[in-house]
Parts: sequence; structure tokens; C-alpha cells
Amino acid sequence: MKQLLVLLTLFTTGAFAADTLHVFTWADYINPDLVKQFEKKHQCKVAIDTFDSNEAMYARLKAGASGYDLIFPSSYIITLMVQQDMLQPLDHAQLSNLKNVEFEVLGKLADSAMKHSVPYTFGYAVIAYRKDKVKDIEPSWKTFARTDLKKRVTLLNDMRETIGAALKSLGYSLNTRDDKQLAAARDVLIAWKKNIAKFDNEGYKAGVDSGEFNLVHGYSGDLWQVMQTNKKVGVIIPNEGVSASCDEMVIPKGAPNPALAHQLINFLLDGKASAENMQNIGYLCPNSAGLKLVEKEFLNNPAVTIPADVKAKSEVIQDLGDDLKKYTKVWDEVKAG
Amino acid sequence: MSAAKNIPSRRAEWLLTLPSLGWLAVFFVAPALIVFLLAFKTADATGGVSAGWTLDNLRALADPQYRPILWRTFWISGTTTLICLVIALPVSFAMARAAPRWRNFLLLLIIIPFWTNFLIRVFAWKTLLQSDGLVSQLLDATRLFDESPTLLYNSGAVLLIMVYTQLPFAILPLYAAAERFDFTLMDAARDLGASGFRAFRSVFIPGISRGLGAAALIVFVATIGMYVVPDIVGGTDSEMIGNKIAQRAQGDRNLPLASALAAALLFCVLLLLILCSSAFRRSEKLDNALKGELQA
Amino acid sequence: MKRSRFPVLVTAAVLLFFYAPIVVLVINSFNASRFGGSWEGFTLKWYEKLWNNDDIWSALWTSLGLATLASLTAMVLGTLAAFALHRFQSRLQKIHLGTLTVPLVMPDILMGISLLLFFVALGVPTGFTTIWIAHVTFCLSYVTMVVLGRLQDFDFTLVDAARDLGAGRWQTLRRVVLPLLAPGIIAGGLLAFTLSIDDFVITFFVQGPGTTTLTLRVYSMMKVSQNMPVINALATILLALTFAVVTLSFKLTRKQTAP
Repeated sequence: MKQLLVLLTLFTTGAFAADTLHVFTWADYINPDLVKQFEKKHQCKVAIDTFDSNEAMYARLKAGASGYDLIFPSSYIITLMVQQDMLQPLDHAQLSNLKNVEFEVLGKLADSAMKHSVPYTFGYAVIAYRKDKVKDIEPSWKTFARTDLKKRVTLLNDMRETIGAALKSLGYSLNTRDDKQLAAARDVLIAWKKNIAKFDNEGYKAGVDSGEFNLVHGYSGDLWQVMQTNKKVGVIIPNEGVSASCDEMVIPKGAPNPALAHQLINFLLDGKASAENMQNIGYLCPNSAGLKLVEKEFLNNPAVTIPADVKAKSEVIQDLGDDLKKYTKVWDEVKAG
Repeated sequence: MSAAKNIPSRRAEWLLTLPSLGWLAVFFVAPALIVFLLAFKTADATGGVSAGWTLDNLRALADPQYRPILWRTFWISGTTTLICLVIALPVSFAMARAAPRWRNFLLLLIIIPFWTNFLIRVFAWKTLLQSDGLVSQLLDATRLFDESPTLLYNSGAVLLIMVYTQLPFAILPLYAAAERFDFTLMDAARDLGASGFRAFRSVFIPGISRGLGAAALIVFVATIGMYVVPDIVGGTDSEMIGNKIAQRAQGDRNLPLASALAAALLFCVLLLLILCSSAFRRSEKLDNALKGELQA
Repeated sequence: MKRSRFPVLVTAAVLLFFYAPIVVLVINSFNASRFGGSWEGFTLKWYEKLWNNDDIWSALWTSLGLATLASLTAMVLGTLAAFALHRFQSRLQKIHLGTLTVPLVMPDILMGISLLLFFVALGVPTGFTTIWIAHVTFCLSYVTMVVLGRLQDFDFTLVDAARDLGAGRWQTLRRVVLPLLAPGIIAGGLLAFTLSIDDFVITFFVQGPGTTTLTLRVYSMMKVSQNMPVINALATILLALTFAVVTLSFKLTRKQTAP
């Protein structure tokens, strides 16, 4: 019994030490070497918990998961979090590397003054496929309608992304509030659903890697990661336009360790660190100092830089407030259909 | 019981009862009541719960979109229960008739695989059933199919893995009942000219009916609220009510609607419990059957 | 009269069904192939990757600490409850027994969502404490039932004997009752420990910052990780450890109960 108590004290002091930074982010989203460097430099422990969709992250915070120091949500949900007064204003005095943030990207964001959030990565939801199994592939969302790929296909289990893809395939905006357009997207998705094996947010990476799936809808950086170890996997960028998203770093209200959280933001904004990070996670960091240091080959990868004409047709998901219910309804009908 | 007179006081009873009863009242009964209460609230667009009461969530349950999910949930749970019972019956029979030193060994063999983490067992099946997995290769070798069939991401896979994870929970109570069964009755039936199967059906099965009831209840209730298995090996047509509850709570910013679904499920489970326990009371109490399982 | 072989054959088939996935999993933990479809040579690299994976180790410590704390609490509460149920036959105990029985058959998802809603309603931040509460809640009934089973075989004349020999109430409890009941309480505690380590759904609902348990970590690994066979290696080690512990405890109890 005594040993148990000793074990418990050891354990509790270890996990809840004052110098532990609690980070809440997507899976495989920070270069682990950088985390180790940061831990060494600041004599602290970085504890990483992961989420698989913005909504799941938001629900968790809303349900009382206070105690995170640093979170990496997408822009649209940050707008909502600011409205809900869930975030701390950032102290620019502690963020000397803010100068590295790309001016061009910043201009497109809701929080362009970086009052609450600093852009971390820029990515897209695109399509990956197995070069050895799928022939004559066209760069279009309509690929999901191909019946010859039966049951070896996944779509994201994220209603905004997946309904967004269907809307894009019809030439509509992925932030539409129009009932007719949404009904058309629903019919497209119900048709696609006959071909797909699963709605999935994370498993598609391992699935397309192992050949379990031949065509997957996924996030560009994650697919880039798979392409690094598996040459049979290729990426296509649908020419109807894609959903672009910017994930940003925010510090929630009540964060136990805001000073250290600022240190980590600043550390990740450093040019060299940013370059190392990009080439590990496969997402473009809007960091001008970092972008100068990355290899040309990385930037030329189709999963990293998308064609200019597609980029022009791409959109960022926005929070729709009460009209989100329309999307939930479509999503339910698709899942039940 | 001679010792009972030593501590007869009411105060002692309360002192012993209060810790567990209090704990469960606060952390089990109260949360269940909150589920029922919250089902009558409305959600706002930001994921909060607004003031005021409504019947909208309960009306929403009548929405046709839930029908396929409810039907599927009952269909999969019912079939899993049936398959588990059909397999567990001969197994418990064989175990109870085995020599005593074999019995404990067999029991241990049944339990050991379940020392592995539940998720890891599901993962192991996923590896077996994947497109180039062992089962697919075996199927290919038989040359029965032109093209190897997809084994994962459908209701069949969900059913298979549910049976895998629930079968011990059917075998243990059935074995506990079979162990107490008087096998001379069966021999008598056979002496009277009944075939082996006939004796099994009309003597053995009625003899262990209490164990059957407990096994069916445990398996059915465990599968009706299943989330993990359809989430991992299910496809687009295998969503169950547990997955819908999770979606409402974690994806749709709608805790009240999640509560309404949970309340409906809770209501079904409690109804089932009440029906079963009144059926059990005629012979013996439900808790004894469960205890029998635990002791086994 | 010849007995039918059919039940024995079914039992053999069931055992094969139970063990096949686990055997394949253990074999695959030494397989160089990343996907486990075919044998591509012997390797220990998955064990090496497991050794170097800090996320798994910190999750393991979280799980062990949580399971220890939860099972100790459940052991205390459950033993008291079993005493109450065994000693008294009142209306209160009927309610007590009913309240203890229902959690045994409550689907995980319902327990998870109801506790989450409860914590949301009270404004309690989720985290280690909420998971601990949840785990004690679902373990308590199991511990009670196991200890109660022991109590029913308990020879209470020993208590009378101790009292007749002049032992005080506390002394009797400490010197006679608890040592004799210890195997039951420990068995209940071990069951609670296993249930706590194994739980996914309830923890998934009430988790908070820095409380990623081993099961939650495995769940995210099996969806994302480039090195899924690390899970096989982890499972193999855990299985070997459980084997060792159970064999040891079997030997210990056998020695103790030997006449």
C-alpha cells in the first residue's frame, strides 16, 4: 500500500507540475523534435491532447475542459470563440517573431490585427488516391461519383467540409445559406454515399497508405505526410475549388500557463523552427522567414501549393450562426439516406 | 444469523450504507435525472442551453430520419444476442459436463483473451479483415469470389465483432447456471427414449432458463448502447443510436437533442430491466444471477 | 449411450475464434510489414518505437494512476456497501441493492453522456477528477457484488468467537473480518482496476486537459499513426504482464488457502 501511495504522489506531481504546458491540437500537427527542443529550452513538459474536428474541440471546451494553455482551431470557429469571450487577448510584447507572419495571408483573416489569434498553418481539403489502383483520374469532386471505386472511398466525417465539397462540385459557395442549393448538395452526397465505405476524419491516412482505401477526402498536409513514405499515393486538387482553412494559435481564458503559451507561439513563429515544422507536418506555415528556408521541392508539391486558378475559386469556411441548423439537417438526411 | 444481533442499530446501517448510496445518488441517479430534464430544453446556436422549456426535442425523435437508426440498433443488438446465446448454449453445456479439473481450465481459456484491451481487440479484427488481411487472403485462396469482397465497413463486420466482444458475457452466466443443473435429468430423458438434441432442448434449456435470461439481458443492453464498434469497423450504413448521441453532443452543438436521444435509450433500458427483474422475481432475484456471473 | 460430440466441437471452434485475432496480433508485433497483411521478416523495431514513444508512456502513467485511485475508492465504498447489504434486511437495503444493480447493466454511452451533462450543469471543469468520479461510479457495483459473494460464504461464528475471547469491535474487524475477507476485496479491486484501464467511452466523454489515458491514446493511434504495429507491440507486452500477474496471484492464493 505504501508503494502505491508513493507511486501516486510521483504520478500526480509529474502530471500536474506548474511547468506543464497543456496543448490541444490536431493529430501529427507539430514536429515532435521541435516539441523536445522547446521542452529542453524552457525546462517544461508539453502535454498534447488531440481533437479530430473543430466542432469536437469546441464542444469539449464548452463542456468545461478548462486548463488548456494553447489551442490550434480553424479561423471560423475562432470568430465564434471570440464572440463567446473564450479567448485571452495576446500580449504582442512577448511575441517578437510576429514580424514573420505573412502579411498577405493576414489580410484575409477576420482577426488580421492578431488580437486573439496568430495564424499557424494554411491548408486545404483535397483528394488523395492510389496511383496503382485508380486509373484515368480527373481533378474534380465528381470523382466521388465513380462507381468503379465502389466501397474503397472515404469522405470526411465533418459536415461543413463534406457538404462543402458537394456544394463546390455544383459550383455553389460552401458557405451558402440557400435551401435549394443545400438540397441539391444533399442529393449529390446521397449519390456519392453509395460508393463510399465510411465517413472518416483520421483513419483515411492509414487507409490510403495500406491500400484499404483507393480514394480519400482529406486535409492536404496529412496527405502530404502519407506521400512522403508511400510513393503509390498521389494527390488531386479538384478544379471546382476547395475549402481552404487557416488554423491559428489561441490562448483560452483561464489558461494556467499563459506566459509559457506565449513562449511556444513565439518559438513556432521563428523562421528556422517554422521551416522545420512545415517540412515535417506538410502544411504551409504563413511565415515569410520560414518560407525562405524551405526547399523548393517542398513548395512545388501539389499537396502544398495548389494551382492559382483553383486557389481563386477556393473559400474559407465561415461560422453561419443559426443557419448551421440547415447544415445539420442536410447532414442527418445524408447519413440516414 | 447469530452475528446480526451484535450490530443491530439503525445508525450502524446508515453509516455503512450512506457512502455507496450517497455516491450513486449524486453521480448516477442525479445525472440520469439531468438527462431527462435537459431533453426538455433548447440549444442555442453557440452550443449553450437556453432558458425555457420545450417539447420540440421529443417531437424531433419522431422524425423519420431516426427510424432507420433505431431499427438498425435493435436489429444488430437482437441478432448479436441471439447468435451469442446459440453459440454459448452448447459451450456452457460442454463446459459443465467436462471433468472438474478441465472446467476451471476451460473457464480460464474463455476469460484470458479478454485481458486484452477492448479497443485493441477491435483493432486486431480490423487487421484481420482489411483488404490484404489474413481472412481476405484465405477467401481469395478458396476462389469462390471473382473479386475479394470488402469485409470491413458494413453491418456484417459490426455484427461479427460485437459477437466476438460479447460472447464471454453470454457464456459465463450460462455456464454458472449449467454448473448447477442436475444432469441426471437429461440422462433420465434419454433413458425414456429422447434423442440427445431433444433432451438438450426440452430438459437442459428450460433447466437453465434463468441463466439464459441473464445472458440475454447483459448482451442486449451492452450492444444497444454500443459506440466504439460501429465507429471503427462500421460503414455508412451501420450508424447506431450511440453514434448519433455522440454526434449530437460533439459535432452538432446540441446537448438537449443528445439528451433526448439518451433519455429515449435510457427509458428503453430501464423498461427492459423492470420487465426482466419482475420475470426473475418469480424464481430468483436478478442480482443473484448477475452475482453468479461475477463469481464465475 | 454415446454422448454427442457437437458441444465439444463448438467449444473448440469458439476458442479458435477467441484466440485467432490475438495470436495474429502477437505475431504481427514482430512483423516488419507496416500493414500486417503478409510476413515480411522478423523485426523488433516496433518495440523500439514503442520504447521511444513518450506519448504512450505518459498515457500509461495516467491510466495506472487513475485506475489505482479509482479502484482503491471503489474498494472502500464497495466493501462498506457489501457489509450493509449482508447485515441488514430493510427497505433501505432494497433501494440500496437496486441502485447498485442498475449501473451493472447501464450502457457506457449513457453513463458517459449523463455524467458529462451533470458536470456541465454544475459547471465543474472536466479533467482528472471528473474521470476519477466516473470510474468509481461504474466500478463500485462490481466491487460490491464480488465482496458480497465472499460475505455469503463467510463464517460469522468466527466473529462471535473473537468477541467471546474479549476482542473489541474494532479489533475483531481488523484482526478477524478484514483478513478473511481480503481475497474478496482484492479480487473486487483487481476487477475495478481492469475495468478502469479498459474503459474508453465514458472517459471519452468526461476527459479534460492532460488526461489522455492509454485507451484514448490507442484510439487516436489506430486512426492516425504511421506506425500502427506499435499498438501490436504494446498489446503483446500488456498481455504478457497480465499473464505474469495472474499466474503469480494464483500461486499466492493457492499457498494461502492450502490446508
